[in-house]
Amino acid sequence: MSTEMTCTRLTILTVAGIFLQIIGLSIFVFGFFPVKPTLSGVSGSESYRHPLCDPAPNKNESEIHPEKLRLLYQESSGISSRYDRLILMVIDGLPGEFVLGKDGQPPWKVWKESMPYTQSLLASGDAIGYHAKAAPPTVTMPRLKAMVSGAIGGFLDVAFNFNTQALLDDNLLGQFLRIGWKMVMLGDETWIKLFPGLFMRHDGVSSFFVKDTVQVDKNVSRHLPNELNNDDWNLLILHYLGLDHVGHTGGRNSPLMASKLKEMDDIVRTMHLKAMVDRSHDQGRTLLIVVSDHGMTENGNHGGSSYEETDSLMLFIGLSSNISDYAGATNNLAFQVDLTPTLALLFGVPIPKNNVGVLVPGTLDYLRDFEQLRALELNSWQLLRLMQAQLPNSLFEGFSCKCFVDGVCEGFGTDISECSGDKEKQLICLFRNAAVLHGIWKSKKLTESSAAEDFNRALDAYNAFLKTASEWLASKTTEKPVFLLGLGVSAMILSCVVCATLFLSLFKEVYNEPKDQVCSLNYLLNLEEVFILAVLLILVISMGSSSMVEEEHYIWHFMVSTFYLLLLFKTVKSFSFSKGLNSLGEYRIGSIFLLLISGRLLRGWHQGGVNWTYFPDISKWLEQAGGSYVKWIQLISSFLVIGLGLFTLFRTGSNRKSVRIQAFVFSICGFLILLHAWRYKGDMFGTDNGATVTAKVIYLLLSISAGGGALVLPWSMLKKDKSFLAVAGDCLYLIGSAYVLCWCLLQLLLQQPINSGPILLLLIQILASSCLSSKDVHVNECVEIAALYYMGMAGHFALGNSNTLATIDVAGAFIGISSHSTILSGILMFMITYASPLLFLLSLVMYIGEKLRNHSHLAHSDTDLGQLLKLKLGLPCLVPLCINSILLTAYTVVLLLMRNHLFVWSVFSPKYLYVCATTVCTYVGVCIVAVTVAYALSVTTFLRSKTQQLVVDS
Amino acid sequence: MKEAKKKKKKSETSIGVSRNGSISTVGVLSVYLINGLFLAVGFWVARNRFLVDLVSDPSLTLFLLWSIEFPVVVIIYSFLRKDPEKCSCSKAVGRSILGLISGAFMNALGAIALGAPIGAQYLPKTIHWSLLMSVFTFVPATVVFGASLTDWHRVFASMKPSGNIEHMILVPAYGAIIGGWFGAWPMPLDWERPWQEWPICVCYGAIGGYIVGQIVSLCLMLFLRKHKSLKVA
Repeated sequence: MSTEMTCTRLTILTVAGIFLQIIGLSIFVFGFFPVKPTLSGVSGSESYRHPLCDPAPNKNESEIHPEKLRLLYQESSGISSRYDRLILMVIDGLPGEFVLGKDGQPPWKVWKESMPYTQSLLASGDAIGYHAKAAPPTVTMPRLKAMVSGAIGGFLDVAFNFNTQALLDDNLLGQFLRIGWKMVMLGDETWIKLFPGLFMRHDGVSSFFVKDTVQVDKNVSRHLPNELNNDDWNLLILHYLGLDHVGHTGGRNSPLMASKLKEMDDIVRTMHLKAMVDRSHDQGRTLLIVVSDHGMTENGNHGGSSYEETDSLMLFIGLSSNISDYAGATNNLAFQVDLTPTLALLFGVPIPKNNVGVLVPGTLDYLRDFEQLRALELNSWQLLRLMQAQLPNSLFEGFSCKCFVDGVCEGFGTDISECSGDKEKQLICLFRNAAVLHGIWKSKKLTESSAAEDFNRALDAYNAFLKTASEWLASKTTEKPVFLLGLGVSAMILSCVVCATLFLSLFKEVYNEPKDQVCSLNYLLNLEEVFILAVLLILVISMGSSSMVEEEHYIWHFMVSTFYLLLLFKTVKSFSFSKGLNSLGEYRIGSIFLLLISGRLLRGWHQGGVNWTYFPDISKWLEQAGGSYVKWIQLISSFLVIGLGLFTLFRTGSNRKSVRIQAFVFSICGFLILLHAWRYKGDMFGTDNGATVTAKVIYLLLSISAGGGALVLPWSMLKKDKSFLAVAGDCLYLIGSAYVLCWCLLQLLLQQPINSGPILLLLIQILASSCLSSKDVHVNECVEIAALYYMGMAGHFALGNSNTLATIDVAGAFIGISSHSTILSGILMFMITYASPLLFLLSLVMYIGEKLRNHSHLAHSDTDLGQLLKLKLGLPCLVPLCINSILLTAYTVVLLLMRNHLFVWSVFSPKYLYVCATTVCTYVGVCIVAVTVAYALSVTTFLRSKTQQLVVDS
Repeated sequence: MKEAKKKKKKSETSIGVSRNGSISTVGVLSVYLINGLFLAVGFWVARNRFLVDLVSDPSLTLFLLWSIEFPVVVIIYSFLRKDPEKCSCSKAVGRSILGLISGAFMNALGAIALGAPIGAQYLPKTIHWSLLMSVFTFVPATVVFGASLTDWHRVFASMKPSGNIEHMILVPAYGAIIGGWFGAWPMPLDWERPWQEWPICVCYGAIGGYIVGQIVSLCLMLFLRKHKSLKVA
């Protein structure tokens, strides 16, 4: 190494690299995930005029009296409105399959029998239902936004799902407010956050207590009788959360599901009978719409893009459409965004500006012919306006205002052309066809009696245009600002290069030192190192395939097991039979077998991924065998975790008071966790105060013992008979094992009971690998650290995580939190999801301590603190950072390349969020490791210099 | 593979014996050709006599494959065994059967560690697959080396084979293992092909790797001989 790199310089460069990465990442994220709608402003009366005609002087419509505005809209739309009131009932998480069945089959018997009234409405033709396909991410807030604004929201909405913000874009509720509607909202308070101050009356319930499945709905229904008797509202929104909570706690087949469906059915009956059939009050005609925001998977989760999650319900009751058979009423497909234009046209308000939905076919059948065509025309105009904003003006040349209004264009004639060519031209052509056919129908209507054929042709032409335009617009939302993306990616690549260069220079320095025994001059890349690099390469390559992203856990498990086998091979290779067997070899072989067995068990614990989730695995098997087995597993794992942890604490042989205090605190924590599990997890739906208090006490104790231990231990470790490095090593080992034990105990509290087994296995893996590294297997230090990182990622998937958002454990994120706090529950959720990678990163402290202890005989004791930190701490920090930055950069490039892929929103984008979270996790872990080790080493150095001072003085 | 030595060393520790005469490259080629031929015969029998293939009935096909290949391998390699004076033919056959079973055990353990599914419906498939793998990897070595741990360790762990016989055992064995490892790759993909099931594509991979290993070992022998003659000159 020609240029010596000092510790300070290394630190500064690393931090600079990380900052560069963060900046690049944030630029990329904001560039890639659309956050802004394409059109600003609110639709007004201009939406009833042709988009290509000169806009009329813009009157300030907000100053018009609402009632006048309503009449103005009604007049210019030319569609008679039959309804005065709307009840929108949102059932959170109800899959469309529950009510409408699947693939033309009626729903399952349990579900069908739970909703007798709704089914009878469907059978008699009073109701018409649609499978409304929701766009991912299937979480509540983006879906509500999509339903009322018709726009496909940005993907980052998920990130804000816990931090709901007011919806400022043009939306239906805003339009209703402008025409003077009075609105009442009962249910999920997301609505109130989306539309603050908009409701005349509201009673929000929180989606905070996921385990509450009863009271949350009672709080909505208790107002219902009053509201149904009132006649002062025009829009009543009911948002029931209970069904989603039932799903989260027990899955689709939860025993509570049938009664919940029955409850929903009763509410539908009450509303139908009181508000619609019974006309004793002069309330006007009411339309009842039952929708769900998203579906749920077999386990009751949602967030992803599987059919089960995106299959939501859209049920119109009281539409008097002319459908009479059951199949016709249930076997319809639509998109969730289609609700917006349909409601806007049904109730005579302008369609919101950024809507990409189209009129739901079959909902306007009661209208007269010209009204139906007019409705389609209005929808087409609105979509055309949206297209105009995204297409070059040159495409619209040759179309004058007159051309479309009269249906006669110069140079085009009145014939219908076959539409071909590129997508944009095709769209314009389809629109022209529709307009022309509409014009023909209009001109002939008065003269000829047989206009039915013309009418149908115009209808078909409009539908063709609407469908194509809607698809095109939906795909256009993925348009990206190229400059920002390029800037972000290049910043990330630069930081990756910085990290790699730092790593390489440090690597050279560490291994070129002649003093160091690990290195020899004939040092060559050996099998493990090649393999570790190959894993990185394989991971990068596999990211390009959507199915490999979905099934990423197979790669991690396969690679980690292969690594264990390679270790075994290496160990066997180093045997020499002339000397016979030694206990050291046995020890190593035993550790490797422990790693292999626990790795296999971890792999079999959760059948993750997307495509093969139905395969049997240990967790399913345990849950089928009965809850008591899960409890036993939890009990045994807790005891073993505490036992192993205490064993590790005392393994150093230091029997100091501080260590004993720590051990005592950990035992108490373990006891409290068992108490918590035994008493409060038994009743699934209790929101007991005691549970919260216990959990808080556990948090407090754990943070005190881990943080306090890390602060105090270095001061109390001074021993005269041991070398300075050995003391520091002992101290770091103790701190590290306290961290690991503390983290394991915390996870035992937070994770689902079924995951306590994997926590134990992960702890065993950590102990076994620390055993291996202390036994000097002659594996390169970088390889060991990289392997720890890989094991952490394999464990991440073993805890049931996957690359879809659906597997995030929401229920655990509220343990020990008494009031709603976005930040706290977010942190808890992060800790649950990234339990395993953080655990392995924390174990690096232990690893460094172990190394220091083993190499304390080496001649490092005379080097200064900076040099020591650089040599001992540099690699453990840089290796995870390097691996992560390579993966992050590679995946960013992959995402950029895949931006037009069919699965970009359902597979690649969620994975990107996970990659970003892994980056954060790596930063946090490395930061903790660096701070702890630096603190402990500097304290020990300080103490040593002081004692030396004393010796010199005396 | 690697577990083998560990298990063995507990039971018996015999000392390596003097080396028998070596075999020419043409001889190796003919051995490989016979091996390949009988592998093909196995497939032919499965397809034409029993009307099954790997996809439709993996257990039966694998059974046919290994039960046809096994005697062939034993007969061929027992001509090449070390210390033919001390070790009678019947003893060689006996220890080859022992090698078949213990090798199958090792291979099955390795496969399960790497994630092969465990379950009643997979059990016969795993057993037959591991027996076939054992025929590729363990049986030739047991026939030739017997239980000489030092030979096993030198050839398989240290990878320092000497002479053509050891080369022709080592390279195809590793070829089969590495091929099987790569063969597992398509399994998680959602192509929904019937051959993605365990252990079909792993079998294809192992057989492919075995054949590639044979070719590589032939090339190696030719190369080494040329090298040696150059050195001598």
